[in-house]
Amino acid sequence: MNGVGEFFSWSRFVDDIPRLLPYLPVTLGIVAYAIILGVFLGMVIALLRIHGQWFFQPFLRLYISFMRGTPMLVQILIVFYGLPIVLQALGIEANRWDKIVFVYIAFALNEGAFLSEIFRSSILSVPTGQMEAALSVGLTRWQAYRRIVLPQAIRIALPSFGTDFIALFHGTSLAFLIGVVDIMGRAKTLGASTKHALEAYLFIALLFIVASALLRLLFHFLDRKLSYT
Amino acid sequence: MIEIKDVQKSFNGQSVLKKVSLQVEDGDVVAVLGPSGSGKTTFLRCINFLEHADAGELSIGPKTVDLNRASKREILAVRRKTAFVFQNYNLFNNKTVLENIMEGLVTARKVPVKAAREKAEESLVWVGLKEKRDAYPAQLSGGQQQRVGIARAVVLEPEVILFDEPTSAMDPELVGETLEVIRKVAHRGITMIIVTHEMSFAREIANKVVFMDGGVVVEEGTPEEIFGHPKEERTKKFLSRFINAESMYYI
Repeated sequence: MNGVGEFFSWSRFVDDIPRLLPYLPVTLGIVAYAIILGVFLGMVIALLRIHGQWFFQPFLRLYISFMRGTPMLVQILIVFYGLPIVLQALGIEANRWDKIVFVYIAFALNEGAFLSEIFRSSILSVPTGQMEAALSVGLTRWQAYRRIVLPQAIRIALPSFGTDFIALFHGTSLAFLIGVVDIMGRAKTLGASTKHALEAYLFIALLFIVASALLRLLFHFLDRKLSYT
Repeated sequence: MIEIKDVQKSFNGQSVLKKVSLQVEDGDVVAVLGPSGSGKTTFLRCINFLEHADAGELSIGPKTVDLNRASKREILAVRRKTAFVFQNYNLFNNKTVLENIMEGLVTARKVPVKAAREKAEESLVWVGLKEKRDAYPAQLSGGQQQRVGIARAVVLEPEVILFDEPTSAMDPELVGETLEVIRKVAHRGITMIIVTHEMSFAREIANKVVFMDGGVVVEEGTPEEIFGHPKEERTKKFLSRFINAESMYYI
């Protein structure tokens, strides 16, 4: 009974795989919600930061510096415990919402802040002459944005966006701390019931490595595909 | 006819244009000369609302707009009757040469894609860059980029094309081919206003020359009048510097 097998065995590792994999969609769901809502939110904030009235600016800056200046875990906990109170004041009952909804919201808010800064700097780094040329051939400001400025800004944002995407993926591993049973949460319960946690965590590490590599490949491919030089 | 009246503009309290006016007849080629900082580029940009003038009026044909208080719709209408050729070319970096020329036709003027492509190809042949139709701006020389810039303006068949120092950012050996294309635009009878430092070119192609300095029009007249017999002291001084420089160049 002594030896390495006590701490790690391949057979337990293999056994854990079918017990963990069904929870991968939960993790992917967090990533998907965070990215979709985050991109939307980030774009709106970036445009407001560039073109919005001065009145908005202090609030947006405060929001962004809070999201970038506090740990993700703290943000999840604040949303989890704080949001129901805020919503209650507005007459919305959130106490019975699924825990994962708070995780979606926390990650979307966080992504929105980070992406807004990436988008903002990318938009500002497109030379002003591009907008001027678009206006000069008779495009409206919105058409110029949509057809000329944003495509170039997206191209510039792509590498940072990829890095951010991978970090987000890794960040989801915090969700189990408020009791969401994603792949991490499942590993924890498996560890508790079988007294062997290492195999599950190693499998998760492997999964994250593969996911990161795939994402990096995807962004590398997009980078080449969208190049226009 | 295009009439620009009493344009005023200041940046941070510094007055750059002090009531500048200009009348341009259809088919005119107007060269605007003057030292750097004289306001000529700002003047040109105000016509196209790339710069928001503090005061002034612009009439293209029968329609008059207030340069300071024009509505979005009026601004768009003016932009769709004018075209601009930039000093730094400003081709759309994310579009091919052909797409650059088509953009204004398709998106702004709602010309069907097929017809727009035909027109764009025609204009590309006209500036001698047919083989570059699928290249991106970054793959072209400065001179080639500017020729595309000119094609992009000409294809819109505007009432006037505004050229802002079209050859100033170029390597000297590329200036010739670009001026050649601008000459072709002039021969087509398209109305143009050109801000330039190419004195001999201005003298050759313009039928009206405007000399600006310190935010005002100092003198205007035919090329013969301005280059041959300038009346104002400032004009004489400015031109003598250039003529000296040019004759130096030939030594």
